[in-house]
Order: sequence, then C-alpha cells, then structure tokens
Amino acid sequence: MKFTDSFREGLRSIAVNKLRSSLTMLGVIIGVAAVIAMVAVGTGASKQVQDAILSLGSNLITITPRAMTTDTLRGAGSQSMNLTLEDMNAIRSQLGDQVLAIEAEQNAGAWQLTASGTNWNSRVTGVTTDYPIVRDWPVASGVFFGDDEIRIYQQVAVIGSVTAQKLFGDAEPVGQTLQLRQAFGGGSRASSARIISFKIVGVLEAKGATFGFNRDDQVLVPTTTAQRVLTGRTSSVNSIVIKATSADAMQQATRDVNEVLLSRHRIADPENADFTIQNQNDTLNALSSVSQTFTLLLGSIGGISLLVGGIGIMNIMLVSVSERTREIGIRKAVGGRRRDILSQFLIEAITLTGTGGVLGILLGWAITLAVKQIQQGIPIAITPGTVAVAVGVSVAIGIIFGLYPAMRASRLHPIEALRYE
Amino acid sequence: MSDVLVELRGIVKTYHMGKEVVVPALQGVDLDISSGESVAIMGPSGSGKSTLMNVIGCLDVPDAGTYKLAGTEVGTLDDDALAAIRNKRIGFVFQTFNLLPRLNALENVELPLVYGGDGHRRRERALESLRLVGLGDRTNHRPSEMSGGQQQRVAIARALLNDPSLILADEPTGNLDSRSSAEILQIFQRLNDEGRTIVMVTHEPDVAEHTKRIVRMRDGRVHHDEPVAHRRRAEDELAAATVALATVGRARAATT
Repeated sequence: MKFTDSFREGLRSIAVNKLRSSLTMLGVIIGVAAVIAMVAVGTGASKQVQDAILSLGSNLITITPRAMTTDTLRGAGSQSMNLTLEDMNAIRSQLGDQVLAIEAEQNAGAWQLTASGTNWNSRVTGVTTDYPIVRDWPVASGVFFGDDEIRIYQQVAVIGSVTAQKLFGDAEPVGQTLQLRQAFGGGSRASSARIISFKIVGVLEAKGATFGFNRDDQVLVPTTTAQRVLTGRTSSVNSIVIKATSADAMQQATRDVNEVLLSRHRIADPENADFTIQNQNDTLNALSSVSQTFTLLLGSIGGISLLVGGIGIMNIMLVSVSERTREIGIRKAVGGRRRDILSQFLIEAITLTGTGGVLGILLGWAITLAVKQIQQGIPIAITPGTVAVAVGVSVAIGIIFGLYPAMRASRLHPIEALRYE
Repeated sequence: MSDVLVELRGIVKTYHMGKEVVVPALQGVDLDISSGESVAIMGPSGSGKSTLMNVIGCLDVPDAGTYKLAGTEVGTLDDDALAAIRNKRIGFVFQTFNLLPRLNALENVELPLVYGGDGHRRRERALESLRLVGLGDRTNHRPSEMSGGQQQRVAIARALLNDPSLILADEPTGNLDSRSSAEILQIFQRLNDEGRTIVMVTHEPDVAEHTKRIVRMRDGRVHHDEPVAHRRRAEDELAAATVALATVGRARAATT
C-alpha cells in the first residue's frame, strides 16, 4: 500500500466523522497552542528582563559597601561609609587594561527643581566623568562634565530628557540655571530650606522606562558636588561601577578588584570584606536560569494539555478500529498485510494530530498577537524552533498514541474481523 | 482440466470457544479441485463447509494436514505471504457482499490493486472489471445506492481484478432475490466457461446445481462427492423469467 493511498484513506475517514475528528483534534490544537503561546510569552518576558538589565550598561561590575547589620544598627544607616573616590582611582590605575571605564556614584536623594518658573521633583545623583561610557548613555545635547568640574566640585548638572521636557518644554535647557530645593529626605540638613543653583551643561538621550520607573527623569551632578554641597557625606560614595573591556574579562576583573580593595581596606580575611562586588554577568545568568525555569514551567502546562489531547487521540482511534473491524477484515481478505493496516491507522492518527498541530500553531500565534496587543512592549516572538518542536511533538503524539490502536487493528484475525457485527 | 489447483490432505481445524467449548470444525478433509472446475460445497450448518472455504481461501490455516495451492505448500507460509496469495491468486465473494461503505463502486473494485503493489493502470483495470459484470455505468455509486444484486456484482468485479486462479464464493446468493441470484449465477457460469475455477459454498440445492460438481460435508468430513447430472443454466432461467414476466404483462394488458 502506497503512502498516498494511506494518506487518502486517513483523510477520508477523518472527513466522514467530521464532528468527532474536530473534537479529537481540539485536544491537540489547544495543547500545541498552549505550548506555543506560553513559550513565546515566557521567552519574551525573559528577553525583556535581560534587555532591561543590559540597558543599564553592559559588562558591569558594581561595588557597593556591605551593609553592617548589628543589633542596633540596621537599614540605610548601617551602610558603612568606606568606599571612596580614592578607591575608584586605585582600581583604575591598578587594573589598567581590564577597565574600559569606571565611575563612582553618590545618591543625593529627591529634590525640588525650579527653572524658568516651573517646578518639578526629581532624583539627584552624583556621578563621575565616565558615566556616559559606563552606562552606554551619551548626551543628546551639550556636554558631560569632566574631571575639572569634579575636582573643584562645580555646581553643574546634566539632566534627563523627561526632566528637561518638564522644566523647559521645547526650549533649550543647556546653559540655563537650575535651582535645587530640598524636598524630602536625602541630606543631613533638611530642616531649613536651602536653594542651590546649578548650571545645566547637557541633556541625556532618552532611554525609556525600566523596571517600572522612568530613568529619563533624573539630574546628574559631579560626585564631589553631591558629596560636599548636597549630602555632606564628604568622603564616601554609594557605589563604584566598572565597565570591563569584554564579557570574558569580567571574572578576572572581579577578582582583581576584590584584591585591590581588600589590601586598600587592610582586610586579611575576604569573609570580612566591607564591600560587595556584583558581577552583571552573574546576575544575568541567575535571571536567565530563573526565566528558563519559568518558561519550562509554562511549557509543561502546555505539554500536559498536549498529553491529554494525545490520550483523546488514542481513545478515538481505538473506537475507530473497533467500529471498522469488518473493514479491516475485508482489507485483509483482498490482500492487505499487517503493515498495510498498521500504516493506514497510524497515518490516520498522524493526520489527525498533524492537522491539529498546524491549527494549534495558528491559534498559538493568534494568542501571542493578542498578548502583544494587551501587554505592549513585551518582545514576544514565535521562533521557528518552537514551531518545529510543536509540529514534531504533535506528529510524535500521533505515532505514540496511534501505534497501539493501529497494532490492534493490524493483528486482527481476518475471519474474526469479517464475522464481526 | 488435469492440473490440480487445490490439494487438501487430512485437513484438521479445531476452534476453541472460550476455555471449555471445543469445536472440531474439520476432522480430516481430503479434497482435490482441478483447474477450471466449478464446485459447490454443501452441507448442514456446523458441517465445516465455511471453515473449509476459509482454509482454501488462505484466510485461516489448518491445525494439521497439508494444503497445496497450485503446487505450493500453503500451511508453512507466514501472514504476509498468505496476504499476497489472497491478493493475487484468490478472489472472494461473500454472502454479505463486504464492500466498504465509504468507497464508490470503482474504488471498491480497485482495493486489491491498492495492496497488489502494481498501481499501474489501476483505474482502467477496475473499470474493465466493472464492465465485465455489466456495471460500467455505476462506477460512482456507493454500495448504499445500489441493489443487492448490483453490490454482489461489484464484489465479483473486485474478486476478478487481479485475474485470480481461484474464485471462492460463500453463499453468494444468500441475500438476493431469485432474479438477482440468477444473474449472479449466470456471471459465475460465464466465468467458468472462460476457464476460471469456481468454488461456491451454498445450502440451496438449486444453486448448487448450477455448478458441475457437488461436495457434501458432514461433521467436518467430505461425506459425498459427485458430479452434477443435469447442470442448470442461469441464462435459460433468466430468459424463462423474462418470458414469464412478459406473459404476465400481456395478460394484464388483456384484462384491462
């Protein structure tokens, strides 16, 4: 029996029982659609998380002071004030070629901004010269402040695109004066309202929101200015961020930074280090393993419905075989061999699941598009791999769940099959 | 007439119904059928005539004894080889026609060629076979759209398709009215006249008298084996029936 004959027979018997076939197929359709849609959403979500992390800059090593928790000292107040600009300079000079760029940041908290008669609230952060390189975030207009401004803690500022829009509208902010008023928290002398003037030297490019807050709404000032003028924390910084030359260099750079800081801080036992080094690649790996587990979980939910669909196929094929016992007897009487009968029923099952698989892909695709509409910004993508796996799995389900009924059909004795009423 | 087509020696077949009941269907059958013969197998129900037919048709294998079909020992063949013999050398005609309801007449007739491997000219050969039984104009009808006689003729066309050396018919007229029966028997007689070997199981003596030889079975053995003294010709009966019908028609016309 030729494949085309088997295939035609399969299509014919599917067509005869349209309602039954489509209900059976529905199990596979839903299963495949679920796998496709869930894997697409899962990978999309994990891609979004990865993009978000990488948008903060790539190949980053972040050093923060270790929180020293004792019985009486907790929270922000417990943070040791032992990371300094000198640490940053030492790392830069001792690591040499491994470091592409390095910067030190000091949070200055939230301030009320006033410019040309407009009010706005925003975060103010002290950063150093390399900030645009480390964060892959150049200025759109004006310039970024340099080492001179940092050395003499000049009152200059680079503002985010949203901040610029809020304060100046369409007017050019560069060259304008920005006044900072203590709004809440942040500094040590919050009691009396202070007004500090800054000259705007640059505006950052727009980057968009990440993790729910808009990073384009911020004010950057020299770290030294943030220390002396805004916070009063004259020596320490909140973090030092290193951009390594490549992803491969990060492990070694992390180790070297650790050694430099341990020796500078005169700590013999690395267990007692008063700082924490965070490697961005480790974070990415951890997150991607989380999202892989997540995707796997979603995929297995789809897989379970596919399994249920497969059992439905098996059930209906068994019914089909016993309904057509006589037909099998006739086919055997006119010369049908075991493998002819086997392939006929197997191909019928595969046709059912294969058609279901294709329809399931279309449904899954539609669901994905719908999710994309509802949850804009998620980079959902159906990969050719997912489609191939879905088709492969549905055909495999046809083989696995169709095999037993087909074998039962092929092993029927011709006489008994012909006598079957 | 001389080559032996079917050679049965000491054929034994026992059926087990459940664990307890043992049915000895055939208890040592010896039978020779030569090429070109026309044989009726008769006997009461339970005499083993259908089992004998299934053994001859390679649908079933005997428990003991030897069966040679055209000189080939059949008892030792495996399932696939038996299927090939059924496909190429034997044509079956059943009491209940056994056509596939979903296929039309032409597709039903084609069926042996689907399994015969030789797909060449499948359609033309099936059509030719349908014409042989006088159904060249019924190719697209499904079994449910045809009369019993027509269905049986489709079944005969299917049996003839691979030009088998042996045609086996199991109560071929059992479900048919007398006119359709006569038509079917006429086809069988014609096929036999053309040199085909026909073996027919029946319990109706007047059907059996259309063959040339009657084998009577009893209790799983051949009880009686004799040639038919006065062979009936189906075409004469058909002609007589037509005349009778015409007479009735004329009589009716005369009375009105």
